[in-house]
Parts: sequence; structure tokens; C-alpha cells
Amino acid sequence: MKTIFKIIIIFLFSFTTLGREKGETKITTDDGIEVFQNEKYYLLKKNVNIESDNFILSANDVKINFDKSLYDITEIYAEGNVKFYSSEFNIKGDGEKLNFEVKIEKLEVEGKNSKLITNNTQMFSDGYIDVNNIDGSFTLDGLNSKLINESIFIKGNSIKGIFSRNTEIKEITSLNIEDEEISYVKHNDTEMYAKKINFNNDSSIIELIDNVTILRNEEKITGDYGTLDTKNNSYKIKSNDQTKVKVIIQNNE
Amino acid sequence: MNFFLYINRSLVFFFALTIILIFLIIIFHKQINLSNNNLSINEKNMANADILEPKFSINNSKKKIFVSAKEGNFLNNNEILLKDRVKFKSNDFIIETDKVIFNRTKQTAESNTRSLFKSKNTTISSDGFDINDRGNKITFYGNSLIILK
Repeated sequence: MKTIFKIIIIFLFSFTTLGREKGETKITTDDGIEVFQNEKYYLLKKNVNIESDNFILSANDVKINFDKSLYDITEIYAEGNVKFYSSEFNIKGDGEKLNFEVKIEKLEVEGKNSKLITNNTQMFSDGYIDVNNIDGSFTLDGLNSKLINESIFIKGNSIKGIFSRNTEIKEITSLNIEDEEISYVKHNDTEMYAKKINFNNDSSIIELIDNVTILRNEEKITGDYGTLDTKNNSYKIKSNDQTKVKVIIQNNE
Repeated sequence: MNFFLYINRSLVFFFALTIILIFLIIIFHKQINLSNNNLSINEKNMANADILEPKFSINNSKKKIFVSAKEGNFLNNNEILLKDRVKFKSNDFIIETDKVIFNRTKQTAESNTRSLFKSKNTTISSDGFDINDRGNKITFYGNSLIILK
């Protein structure tokens, strides 16, 4: 009897359900579409939902640029309460605006509380977050810009860097952080403050420039320039004022 | 003992099945009546049509859109109401709907009936559409669905 009930329910629901087949992209809007054939773009208006096998996006309004025909999408620009998830790139995020250039795989999320989350890195900003999947470069710019992963916490108005390519887990290979007030980096048990902070994975050195403070295990050392070697966790601090004492602490753990 | 425990399960099932069958019969009956009515309206309309199987075109520098329908009625000097199997066909796409007001001078079209746009790997269904700017701009109205392949 239960089976008969199930069959009846499936039969009744099949009248009303409109599905998406595998390989297809389904787009729905509440207030229509405007297609501009010569200019090669279309506008999707009000409560837009885009769903394909490996990509989901929702936003208030979306503009799509195309090349040959409507299916040949080159760029997606979404505005208003944008939320998206890509299972192909293992990335999700949200923001006020989103721009995705399909061919060069460049993604930009813009606006207050912008968020971009990959399998091992979280990025936040009130300005914009920009990621290029092909060359691995990324930029976070604006107030409350933060980058967090398992080993590092970074805060600054401008965070520029490069993710490693050809590896499943994306590691940061270089970083440039700037903040007119102060930038902040926490690496393992060491907290670092400076106006400019640079990191290079090849040399494994974190470079701190201007208004430098390093905090570790109740110790606080300040100066004008500092370096921290992430391999042996040792650091050096220098001061422009030659009368001040330079401090070098070696951690032999 | 609770009254509901006395209710026979098979009785409930057959009661539900009967209601569903009645519901389906009503829907199909109405559908049949509706199509009969449409048929008689169509027959009346055919007699009242100003043009049978009208054909027009919208031209721009890049493409030509051919417009066809089963019948048409002049609304004024410029506007024609195209009815029944209305088609807009270019090299790139086809739009199908039931009723369209076509303006010959401005080369525009406006429809408030369910419309289906088909082009390579793309279908769009909407509650109506407008064609402006000599076919360059097509606006689809209301709840719209695009399927891209």
C-alpha cells in the first residue's frame, strides 16, 4: 500500500516539477530578461538563480556577457546579496557584487562583508577580494580585510599574494600586506605588527617594515624593521635610532 | 479505545484514491472543454481575420527577423494583432507565442502571452516579450526560465 501511495505522489508531483538535466545550466528570474544582441549581453532581473552541475549563484540582478550565443558565457556580473558556490574550484562566498571572467578564471567579490572561502583559506573584506585561478594571485583591499588559514592569520587594508599552483592544497608562496595604521600577522605562537609586512616562501622570511612590534610568550619587542625566519622561528629587530638596543632572540625549540 | 484506531486503513486508502481520481477527472474534463472552446473561438476568429497567414520582417544592419502567424487583424494603420502560431525567426533564433501586436512602422513587437525563445543550446520561456531597436533588444517579461546546454 505504501508503494502505491508513493507512486501516486510521484505521479502528481511530476506534473509540476521542472528539472534540469545533467550538463545544463538553469537560470530563473522573477522580473524577466533583456537581451542585447549587438552588444552581446543579457540582463537577468530580480531574484536571479543560476544552477549548473558545478556552480550555483543567486543575486538580485545579473549581467551576462556572451561571445557566439547566449550559452557562450564570457563574464558574469552579479549585484545585490550575491551568494555562490563552485564545486569545481571548491570555493564559496558572498558579497554585494561579484564579477567572474570565465576565460581568465578571475573572480572578484566586492562590498561590505565580502567573503571568499576555499577548502583551507578564508578571506574577508569590506572592500573587494580578487582571485585569479590561473596565475594564483589574489588581492584583498579595503577595511577589515583578513586572510585566515591553518597556520596564519593576516589583517591589513591591503593584502596581496600568490597561491601555489599545481597542488591540491593551495599554499601562500608570497604576501605583501600594507596598512597606513597597522598590519597584523599571527604565525604559530608569534604575533607581528608593522605598517608593511612581506613574506616570501622561497626565503621563508617574514619582513616587517615601520612601526614594528613582535609579541611572543609574554615578550614584546618593538623597532623599525624586523625579520622572522619561519623555518627556525627566530626573529631580529632593528631600530633607525642607533642608540636603541637591537634585539635578537633565537628560539632553539 | 481511540475512535481513530477503528478506522480501516484500506478504507482510508480507497477514499484518498477516489478523491484523487475525481480531481484528475475534473482537470481533464476542464482541459477538454477549454480546447473545444478554443477551437470554436478560432473558427469564429478565422472568419473575422483581416489577413490570413500574414508575413512581415524586421530588418537591421546585421540580420533579418521574419515574422509569421496564422492570422492577423489591423488595430490601426501601423499596428497589427497577430494571432495563433506567431513566429519570429532569424538565423540565430526562433520565438513562438500565441498573440503579438506588431508595429510595421516602428518595427517593434509586443506580446503578453507565454513565449518560448529557442536558439543554439539555449531556450527561454517567459510570460511575454518585446522586440525593440529593430530586433537588437529583446525583453522577456515576468517569471522567466533559461536553460543553457
